Amino acid sequence: MIRNERISPVQLSFIMIGFIFGSSAIITPAVSAYQDAWLAYIIGWIGGYILIGIYAYISILNPSKTFIEILKDVFGKYIGSIIGIFYIWYFLHLAGLVFRNLGEFMIVSIYTETPLIFIIISIALVLAYSLKKGLEVIARVGQIIVPMMLILVISIFLLVMGHYEVKNLLPFLEHGFLKVLKVSFSVLTFPFGETVVFLMIFPYLNDKKDLFKTSYISLTVIGMILLSVVMSNLMILGADMLNRQIFPSHITISLIPGIAVEPFIAINLIIAASMKITMCLYASLIGIAQLFGLDDYKPFINPVVAIAVVISIWVYDSLSDMVRWAGEIYPYYVIPFQIIIPLLVLIILKIKRRDGSSAL
Amino acid sequence: MFRYFTRLLNYFILKAKNDNIRDFKHYSNIEKIPSSIKSVRDKLEEIFSDSVDFVLREIALGENSEVKILIAFIDGLTNKQTVNTNILRALMIESRISKLNREVNRETIIDILKENLLSIGDLEIIDDFKQTVEKILSGDTVIYIDGKNVAFKADTKGWETRGVEEPETEAVVRGPREGFTETLRTNTALLRRKIRNPKLKFEMIKLGEQTNTDVCICYIKGIANPDIIETVKRRLKRIKIDAILESGYIEEFIEDEPFSLFPTVGNSEKPDVVAAKLLEGRIAILCDGTPFALTVPYLLIETIQASEDYYSRPYFASLARFARMLAFFASVILPSFYVALISFHADVIPFKLLLSVSASREGLPTSAFTESLLMVLSFELLREAGVRMPRPIGQAVSIVGALVLGEAAVKAGLVSNLMIMVTALTAISSFVVPPMGGTIPILRVVFLIAANILGFMGLFLSIFVVLIHLCSLRSFGVPYTSPIAPLDGMGLKDSIVRFPIWSMITRPKDITSNKNKKVEHRMKISHIKKED
Repeated sequence: MIRNERISPVQLSFIMIGFIFGSSAIITPAVSAYQDAWLAYIIGWIGGYILIGIYAYISILNPSKTFIEILKDVFGKYIGSIIGIFYIWYFLHLAGLVFRNLGEFMIVSIYTETPLIFIIISIALVLAYSLKKGLEVIARVGQIIVPMMLILVISIFLLVMGHYEVKNLLPFLEHGFLKVLKVSFSVLTFPFGETVVFLMIFPYLNDKKDLFKTSYISLTVIGMILLSVVMSNLMILGADMLNRQIFPSHITISLIPGIAVEPFIAINLIIAASMKITMCLYASLIGIAQLFGLDDYKPFINPVVAIAVVISIWVYDSLSDMVRWAGEIYPYYVIPFQIIIPLLVLIILKIKRRDGSSAL
Repeated sequence: MFRYFTRLLNYFILKAKNDNIRDFKHYSNIEKIPSSIKSVRDKLEEIFSDSVDFVLREIALGENSEVKILIAFIDGLTNKQTVNTNILRALMIESRISKLNREVNRETIIDILKENLLSIGDLEIIDDFKQTVEKILSGDTVIYIDGKNVAFKADTKGWETRGVEEPETEAVVRGPREGFTETLRTNTALLRRKIRNPKLKFEMIKLGEQTNTDVCICYIKGIANPDIIETVKRRLKRIKIDAILESGYIEEFIEDEPFSLFPTVGNSEKPDVVAAKLLEGRIAILCDGTPFALTVPYLLIETIQASEDYYSRPYFASLARFARMLAFFASVILPSFYVALISFHADVIPFKLLLSVSASREGLPTSAFTESLLMVLSFELLREAGVRMPRPIGQAVSIVGALVLGEAAVKAGLVSNLMIMVTALTAISSFVVPPMGGTIPILRVVFLIAANILGFMGLFLSIFVVLIHLCSLRSFGVPYTSPIAPLDGMGLKDSIVRFPIWSMITRPKDITSNKNKKVEHRMKISHIKKED
């Protein structure tokens, strides 16, 4: 443990809600299943319970250790460190991707004339400040703004209710169940599988007994909210339109009669994406510090944030590139990080524990 | 750069602390009172030379005037009647009438003075000369005796003071109207009258190298957190400063985060407010010479709490708190919101409103940002003028402000009608939350600039920064945003919504340590049922 910081179960669940809502508020891979997007989404969501269960179980087996330390324990010092470096890269990369999502959304929807880098840097500066203040402060901020975000999302959901057309959900399973399953795998990896980041955060929970309960409650809450977002987008825009839009939520919001509330969705996105980026960066900072056996991660804040910003700019050429990469490559890119290594760790841990207990 | 300054500051604070400890050791050396009355007299005359208000009086007692005593006090700080009747008359006349004078000699003088002659409640025997000088300066009368190494201190404090009046800063419709005065003793009495409990403690400490100001730490033993009491004492003791003229001097020394915009030390002029805070487990610091008492720890939620919330019905109190919160946000955000709307997000404005907005802005030479900055700054000018002006001129200022800056500015085509409305709303709102008076105007300008750079996003990011800062603040170790974050379910009953008083059964969790029951909740309920 680097610093004696503690967060409560309530704070953890709000952070998780914000994290999962992250960029999936505006982009969800479920749309490529056309009118069965909701089904693909639900299957992915159920898969999310299994993945988060695995992560929580790993953390309960090693209550005071972060994932980097667990990796070192399980795979030995050298192999564990190498896998740890890959994880740090993944967290940084993820932060960069979310930065880019956020920036692109701003450019496309509101600030059409502003350079992308300016928007990303201005957000990055704020997040660097929050990282300097530490996890406890981030948790408190999350506890205050994530509920506001939820209220906004729910009120938007209620406001657009008048435009629902149930016939947009038909015909059912037009493209076959296999297609739905394939899409649901994408949903599983983005956003639910990304909670692997929390393996670095779980050790800071002050009450380890509530870990399963907390993560499942927050997964349920955010799953329902995301479902409502997917459903309302689908029922309002229709499968065809949904697939053509890059940011369908933005179009849906502009249908609210009377007042224009598009900035709300931007604010939602900033809140949630900030939570997500902060957590990713925090995880990689803790990882770096622990990998090299340092007491404090603070000297790394500015370089790490700068690297994440640079990654976000370099990683795609354009918006369409981003959409293609996120849809086609990302699900396979993250399989080792989200599924294979955690599963392997869990199995090895179980075997080791059994040996250990029999030896005793 | 900033960190460098903080370090420099810390260095000076530590240095001051060390110096203070050294001084304290030196101070603890007692200087004995000379036994000969003549040398006492010489010493006093040397110390108080060129002070016309210093009075020395020599009296001889005993049959052959064998025991000489010296009475020293400062005219104006002492109650004349007490000095004249209880000390001078007793010594000079009553001792002779009662024939006690015959028994007086060098051996019996102290006992006779103490038992029979000096009819004063607070009488003390002192053997330190420096202390006697201090007592004289604080309004006591000191009686030196020839041939003895001790002196009597009689409490004769009494000077011209302002009476207990209704404070102007915290006006209430319902509730006690008395306010603290400039005299420390009156203030402690006002508190003691509210809380008649021996557990209410007043601890004295003298601060200020030149002024020797009395500062009093008040808390209720068993309710206040001992750790916080220790912290307060430690921080007060390390203050080294020439003068303490107002509690604001102390405030700046004991803050957790000296560079924060937000107040982490509260102040109040009303005994009932301070008593309520003491009962919640907070600690008050009273300072002689000012009616403003400090209360610590001070949390963000206290800025929207007023004493009247507890005296009026819960529904209305909750509404008032909600209004205060709204006013805080409005007064900070409104101008920047306006700028963001006009210059970045015109598409968000409903069409009909957009028509009238653009009509009112037609022909304006300034951008929305310049216009807002102009109005915000001119409002600050007006406010400052209103506070400092002598009262008869105030009317002129308000007329000039209302007419010239309001109507004429619009007619001259300098600002739009809408901007005037925004400014007016901002101005009214900024008076709703008095504790934030120093924070709001600065935040307003910062937000205005942010909104001019990035519209809603800039506004939101700056709010985000303020939020992060708020969440990182602590007041004497207690998180500033408690009870909302970290969440305290019971504490929420006294936050934005004010629950009925009988339902508030605990004190703030993060402040108090032990003894969590505040009101006997169940007893109250059964009592109500019985009456039914």
